[in-house]
Amino acid sequence: MTLTRTEIVDHLKNILGQERVITDEEVLKENSHDRYKKFETIFNVYSTPIPAAVVKLGNTSQVSEVLKFLNENKINSVARTGGTATEGGLETIVENSVVLDGSPMNQIIKIDPVNMLATAQCGVNLGELEDQLRKQGFTTGHSPQSLPLAHMGGLVATRSIGQFSTLYGAIEDMVIGLEAVFPDGEITRIKNVPRRACGPDIRHVIIGNEGALCYITEVTVKIYRYYPENNRYLAWKLDHMETGFEILRKVMVDGYRPSMARLYDVEDGIQHSFDQFAGKKCVLMFLAEGNELIARATAEGIAKIVEPYEECQPLDSKIIENWFSHLNWGPEQIAEERDLIAKNLHIGFTTEISGNWDCINTIYENALNRIQEDFPHIDDLTMLGGHSSHSYQTGTNLYFVYDYDVKDCKPEEEITKYHNPLYAMIVEETLKAGGSMVHHHGIGKYRTQWTKEEHGSAYYILKGLKDQFDPNGIMNAGTVYPLE
Amino acid sequence: MKIAVCFKPIADYARLSQKDWKWDEGHRVDTSFIRRIFNCFEESALEMALTLSGTSEHASDLIELTALTVDNQQGDLFLKQLLAVGYNYGVRIQCKKNPDLRFTPLVMSHLISAYIKKQGHDLVILGMQGGEGDNGQTGFLLAERLGWPCIGEVSRIIRDESHDCLKVTSRIDGGTLVQTVHLPMVLIMGHSLDSPYLRVPNLKQKLRAKKKQVIVISDIELGTYIDPQTNHALTNAPTPENDKTLMDLRKPQASQSCVFIEGENAMEQAQQLYDQYLKERLPL
Repeated sequence: MTLTRTEIVDHLKNILGQERVITDEEVLKENSHDRYKKFETIFNVYSTPIPAAVVKLGNTSQVSEVLKFLNENKINSVARTGGTATEGGLETIVENSVVLDGSPMNQIIKIDPVNMLATAQCGVNLGELEDQLRKQGFTTGHSPQSLPLAHMGGLVATRSIGQFSTLYGAIEDMVIGLEAVFPDGEITRIKNVPRRACGPDIRHVIIGNEGALCYITEVTVKIYRYYPENNRYLAWKLDHMETGFEILRKVMVDGYRPSMARLYDVEDGIQHSFDQFAGKKCVLMFLAEGNELIARATAEGIAKIVEPYEECQPLDSKIIENWFSHLNWGPEQIAEERDLIAKNLHIGFTTEISGNWDCINTIYENALNRIQEDFPHIDDLTMLGGHSSHSYQTGTNLYFVYDYDVKDCKPEEEITKYHNPLYAMIVEETLKAGGSMVHHHGIGKYRTQWTKEEHGSAYYILKGLKDQFDPNGIMNAGTVYPLE
Repeated sequence: MKIAVCFKPIADYARLSQKDWKWDEGHRVDTSFIRRIFNCFEESALEMALTLSGTSEHASDLIELTALTVDNQQGDLFLKQLLAVGYNYGVRIQCKKNPDLRFTPLVMSHLISAYIKKQGHDLVILGMQGGEGDNGQTGFLLAERLGWPCIGEVSRIIRDESHDCLKVTSRIDGGTLVQTVHLPMVLIMGHSLDSPYLRVPNLKQKLRAKKKQVIVISDIELGTYIDPQTNHALTNAPTPENDKTLMDLRKPQASQSCVFIEGENAMEQAQQLYDQYLKERLPL
């Protein structure tokens, strides 16, 4: 028999105590969504069903007890810590969902400079962890734009990536061990070893699961020595994105690992005021980091690669260094964004994908052309462009960035009129060209219609995990896996 | 109605770190690597004028908008943006010898008044203050030079029902004042009651603006030469009083004592702050 909303709340209070079960209307509204629906929430519209409760989880046992209860009663759960997700993964789309807030689990458990490990609970803010590490001369190397706000649990659950990934890797390269709780209440712990061949790497069942398979309670990541005094920024302006992709590829294939390697097209560059320094040109930039010898060799090697390209003209690296140091978003920027949206009815989003070197420029051009030709509200767009920010031996990612005036529609219609169709065009062109529909933001709830196409025959493996670990479908329904 | 909105792009000082605040012999801090932005008052003024121009109902009460700046070629980017959002003209006054105009509201008033007198505008809107100088005087000096009335700390401008007049809301001590005014007039913009953000041009508008030209006029063409040695405006009119010259720059001394509140976590620190400092100050 399905429990009522009141019964769900009562049961949760019995398990956790009254003080850990929040039913305040404003808190419930705030926890029903993430940044995907930021427009409607600015106008106090909450079209997603409001959850039955937000529970503040204090330790792993509580997570286990609550999940057991939810699983037995087939109640949908949504795991949440920092709340900075962008793809609808935190939306409580099922009636009477329960939001599992791990932010009270905010202890940095251990910093181990001998084994170069840092262990933190899921509710630890990455910015705070970084501050602690840097005091001791270390860094996680993980620096997403949400660093001031994001928490470790969410960062691992979404398979996140940071601005310095080209050197340090993405989260999956950083995670050594994990603790996670599965829907039946089973607490699992993966130990911290440098590498092993003891069956498939089961960390990857958990990393990137977006709360659709389990609840991450603790994370151990590698740490690195931090040498900011050796940082060298390099930047050029150039005419063509295709040239930029070619240079990025050469840098990676020749073995250089700058911590940051980015390529901005003209339109996206204007958003960052690059036109004040580079005119109407693309901008290519790198950051060489590490000990003195490595940083110097990396910078010199990259400069040598760029040198033969006559269309590349150097830019003052101080411009890029200054710009880059102000890239991250804290609460002030979020608040300012909301104010701007509310007053000007003007909003911006990104859709980011990845592709191998031989198709990335095709994806870039095709997606932009498709939007120009087929998007019915093109007159409302104020900006359409893109940039690459994470490169690999075999390819790179691409952010498509688009801003628009929201006209003649209710707040809750904004995503169906603008965001969803723009998103769809980009995803379709990417899949057509052989790329991946999402590089690091996670599938969330709005790309699930393409999950099977994305994985092809390998969807069999992904589906198998859901069948095994969440047969009752209580883990963040509608995320990663399409609702059948 | 012909409206001129004056603006001056400024360095985004919030992006300067402590270590960047060093000055040269001319007391100039290097901001060449920092982006420039509209200051908040001028951004409000630019948006407000656009909103005003959108209220024209007949051809006879159309509003012609001019965006005016005193700047080098870098100012063209901002003027192009304004042409894209609907300004009819983007005009840049270029001083021949690149004088230091940071602390020279008198010089600015000379240049702007010379242009306005030539072009026959009915209304000039400026921001209250901004930039390194933060002089807060240009609007008043301009009004004096033009012989026009002037209202400061304007927060809203709308058209009167008659369309010949404007209803101007401004801040005064203890409240706000709403006045219906005839033109010509100088209005000095403070904090806007409406949107402080300039609208963003759409893709088509940006494309159309590429074909529009920025009008560049030199100080000499306006009959006013700015002497870079003295920053004085030399005109055919009687020599004006001296404008300001920057003599020295000093970092303010940190003079306030402070107490660092210790504690294991934010909750503990907040409790200490309340117990030791706030409790006795808060009303019962």
